[in-house]
Amino acid sequence: MAQSLARMETQRGRAEYVPNPSFANSGHAWLKFLRHYGPVPRADNMFDETLQRLARRQQIAPIDFQHPKQAEIADCFNRATADPVSVILTGTAGDGKTHLCRQVWKALRGSDDDWASDNPYLTIGFEYPKDRTTWPQSAEPRLYRSVKIHFIRDLSGWAPQQGAEWDVAKEALLQKFCHSLFSSDSDEIFLIAANDGQLIESFRRLNGTPDVKRARQVFEDLLVEDRQEQTGVRLKFFNLSRASSAVLFDRAIEQFLAHPGWDELKQGVPAENDVFGPKCPIRQNYELLGTPLVRARLRSLLELCDYNGLHVPVRQILLLLTNAVLGHPDVGQHLMLPGDVPKVIAAGTVSKASIYNNIFGANLSDIRRQSITIFDFLERFQIGSETSNRVDNLLIFGDGDENLGDYFANFIEKDKFYGADDRFYAAKHEYIEGTSEDEENDNAFLQMLVAQRRGLFFKIPKDAEVELNLWELTVFRFAGEYLDEVVAVLKRGGVVKRPLVSHLVKGLNRVFTGMLINSDRELFLATSGNYSQAKVSRILVERVSVEPSKGEKVILRVDPASGRVLLSVFFAPDNYVDFNLTLIRYEFLLRIAIEGALPASFSRECYEDLLAFKSQLIAAYSKRQAKEESPSGSTISLMLLSLTELGTPDPRAVEIMP
Amino acid sequence: MNALPQPLPPPESFEQSSSMWVDEAIWGHRLYDEQLPWFVFLEFLNVFTHEDDKGRAFDEQDKPNELKYRAAHRLYLRNILFNNPHLPNIRLSYPNDSNRWEEWLRRMKSAATGLNHPEFGFLKDHFHSFEDFCEIVSLVRSTSLEVNSNKRWTSKFVFPYGRGCLYEDLDNNASTNDRRFFGRTGEMLYLMLCRTPRKQELLAAFKGRLAKAEKTWASIINCLQPTSAEDMSGERANAFLPYASHPCFDDLADDWLAVLRLNIPSYDVFPHLVNLAGLHILKYQLSVSRQLLGSSTPLKLICEVVAPKKTLVRELSCDLYQSNNLLPAQAVETFIANIDRSDDWQRAITENGAFEKCRRILKEKVRWGEDYDGPPDAGELISRLRQDAMKRHRQHVANIHRNYGREIGLVSKRGTVKLRYAPTDALFKTLLFANVEKRIELHQFLDRLHLRYGFVFGDKEAEQVLSKDEFDKKAFQGNSRRLEQRLGSLGLLRRLSDGCAYVVNPFHTEAR
Repeated sequence: MAQSLARMETQRGRAEYVPNPSFANSGHAWLKFLRHYGPVPRADNMFDETLQRLARRQQIAPIDFQHPKQAEIADCFNRATADPVSVILTGTAGDGKTHLCRQVWKALRGSDDDWASDNPYLTIGFEYPKDRTTWPQSAEPRLYRSVKIHFIRDLSGWAPQQGAEWDVAKEALLQKFCHSLFSSDSDEIFLIAANDGQLIESFRRLNGTPDVKRARQVFEDLLVEDRQEQTGVRLKFFNLSRASSAVLFDRAIEQFLAHPGWDELKQGVPAENDVFGPKCPIRQNYELLGTPLVRARLRSLLELCDYNGLHVPVRQILLLLTNAVLGHPDVGQHLMLPGDVPKVIAAGTVSKASIYNNIFGANLSDIRRQSITIFDFLERFQIGSETSNRVDNLLIFGDGDENLGDYFANFIEKDKFYGADDRFYAAKHEYIEGTSEDEENDNAFLQMLVAQRRGLFFKIPKDAEVELNLWELTVFRFAGEYLDEVVAVLKRGGVVKRPLVSHLVKGLNRVFTGMLINSDRELFLATSGNYSQAKVSRILVERVSVEPSKGEKVILRVDPASGRVLLSVFFAPDNYVDFNLTLIRYEFLLRIAIEGALPASFSRECYEDLLAFKSQLIAAYSKRQAKEESPSGSTISLMLLSLTELGTPDPRAVEIMP
Repeated sequence: MNALPQPLPPPESFEQSSSMWVDEAIWGHRLYDEQLPWFVFLEFLNVFTHEDDKGRAFDEQDKPNELKYRAAHRLYLRNILFNNPHLPNIRLSYPNDSNRWEEWLRRMKSAATGLNHPEFGFLKDHFHSFEDFCEIVSLVRSTSLEVNSNKRWTSKFVFPYGRGCLYEDLDNNASTNDRRFFGRTGEMLYLMLCRTPRKQELLAAFKGRLAKAEKTWASIINCLQPTSAEDMSGERANAFLPYASHPCFDDLADDWLAVLRLNIPSYDVFPHLVNLAGLHILKYQLSVSRQLLGSSTPLKLICEVVAPKKTLVRELSCDLYQSNNLLPAQAVETFIANIDRSDDWQRAITENGAFEKCRRILKEKVRWGEDYDGPPDAGELISRLRQDAMKRHRQHVANIHRNYGREIGLVSKRGTVKLRYAPTDALFKTLLFANVEKRIELHQFLDRLHLRYGFVFGDKEAEQVLSKDEFDKKAFQGNSRRLEQRLGSLGLLRRLSDGCAYVVNPFHTEAR
């Protein structure tokens, strides 16, 4: 198996290293430093600054990688532009706003000392061409104009506390900023970094001059409508919360694993019970994290977060990785320090440091875990609690079973760190054959099962995914199909398989009519007469062909701007409605199509969304019909929908002559 | 809170019935708990249509409380829809279309109630077959109001698709309005809207809405009744609303206007109008009570966004519900105490023939005392009045807060045994549509709900209305977080990041 191979390799490689205590010490320093990325309590809002300072002091390179938006943002200020405009960097905490500001500062050759100061507001001058269309060939000074760039790298630290009055100078500066957005001749531009909430809040508290009011509206529109600029406004607006978590993850894990600190730890040639020794859980977790399978599964989870509209900021990804490697419930702050490792080994609690549990924050207290974004998001997959008979059979009866035995051996038995230990076997035996009615024992075993199911999610290889129903370990049973058969296919420019589209259409039809209809070649739009949101809709308005026909079709596609998967219903080539097919909606529709029922937990929200979608479809249909001439006769005809016993629609026309 | 405005006198022409005039003097003639908001709305539509036909909708023409109108009976339609159990049986027993019609017409001739010479033959002109007719009847029934309740057939109502669907509630013989479910609260609603400065705007929006509505269903309903002259009721009069103006009337008009102007498809707007009518009538009753009691603080309704476990918010909400529920009764007591304290009364009790004089005062002010048979003592007299008034108040008027509150989804027992304010999703939608034009930040939305209705959801609002020892920041933060989740699950909230969430109205008119 992939991870055991990796371990063998490293074990073999280790013997060649020569002991070097200084390496070990700097490796230890790295682990202590790494802890700051983890779930430790902190109060400052300039995380990046603090970490940079710490890194300088301890002479450790921080984890550094290029943000996907970095080049685009830098291009707003460098020679890529002859007429720079103001830039706002917004996003949630930990999205890398300050980090990106610093990159711009460095590119503009700002001084490190100034940056290292605590001042949230800095300025710098830069020369741009007087001709605002191109950069001149020569360096002749009269061809250039000097532009003052105001850096407000932390708006919330700079603006007055809520309820306090604005400082006159600061208020004047922001007034100037608002004015500059709408006047083309200004020689001052701004780079402002702020959480979206603080951004709106700060400008709302500003004296409402016409410019301020206009600016507020612009910010709100750009934010809510997810746009980067607005015509006539000298502003570029980057909402970092729109970045793909999966892309951020790729970059973060690359640098995380490649950090020289790890090599130093390896080179220390530790003894058996030492940090990074053969029994060290930190080393085991680090190596597991590097295996392609674990990486791929983690990435899938983050990608699925993206497709559910949940954005994971950079800092949360680093927190996840750090916690995955260092987590242990019994040590200080639940993150292992070098000194903890021998104690953990001696106490026989290495299995509690399981990366599979740490990924879900299981080393932390419930309250702490629930307050951390990434663990809150991962919790929603319910990995560990969700299961199938097959998986539980494997775990409970798999040992020695003729079908499941191999799987048990590979996934559970051979995993000497986090697989089956004596405690597991004993608890299993007691659970199956025990006579004691002690619920506590059962509970303990059930907790072990949770940990093992989580492990399985990261151990079942791609080629056994289908056979072992990997995704039934999550609440999203169709997530694998969604990633492989929908997202990946569409991103390659392919066409989603017909049976999948049919399932989706069947699900839609069941929601739209409120009946267990089995039709999947046409989309049935139906209403109830007086209330468009009624649960059962018997009056058929229109049937839309799924296969292309006379301008009608139902297709899946990717929105190139946002990367979202869209289900688009076409009434005519220029008359269509898009529906953002998130993972959760996909799951909802498929479960309705296949099972006709679903768990209550996420049905409500999707149901409301789908009814709203139906309203939009009916509106689009009416738009198309408005172009048609209404029939001359005044007869009212209605199509009433009913189903045969097989669920086939059996519409019946009723005419009324007024 | 402002003082209660000087009440209007009942007009000269008013019917001087012998019943007591206490609740009526305080709130109007009358708030009736058994007429739930949908029926209030239907009664209102009857009044509105009549007055609009006369070209004076929302206009009292400087003669307050002299509203006189007639309502339709539409007994053909009602017999077909609600007094006609024959259809399934006839479909089964008679295979042939003409037999079916024949048999049904025969049966209806004798079974139809309230019609002089029932003749349903006109239906055959509208349908190709009896089968089609049955389908339509079943469809129309499925969208009717109270169709599955055990109310008498004359108290079942077709959905108001158009004027052909409007009629008044009738007694068991289908002959007259016995005020069983149309208790004039709809007439009061109409009068409230007559007395707001925005009535012209409202008239335009309301009529525009009715004109734009999908015509199909109105035409179908018209096919179920003969074209001959409508059977109209006698003149309905004597509605009374005591105040020439009141902030509650204006709030109601503002909310109706906001909702009417949205891009909500056709009839979907009606449930919101109904909810808002119910809410503002409830609020009117509580506000007037508090004004009469001289309260200086604004009304407060602490709302729980239902939590899985008991919370402090729930406790406070239960307590507040209880104390608000007592307000109308306290108002009645104060009203009577005010008579007792009045100069007239105080003078009368010191004069000769005090008892008779006092009795005259009561007859004049509250139309009561004729049947009094107790000892001839002014003190006894007024204490009997207090007893009688409270007894009468408790029968109906006292229940508005609870019944309307439950009906519109404001008051609930969900998850507990005690009533408290715990709005449903439907009510959240109504409130959002009435208060958010396009989008606003969540905390502004909460602030607005507090200012306009006294609703308290979040910690900021709770801090303003609660004393230090009652206030628990965390509990209310949890409450507004749950609200946020609920709105999110309804697709009405856009969360940007931890610091910023917008409440969004999907029916904003610019949207499409």
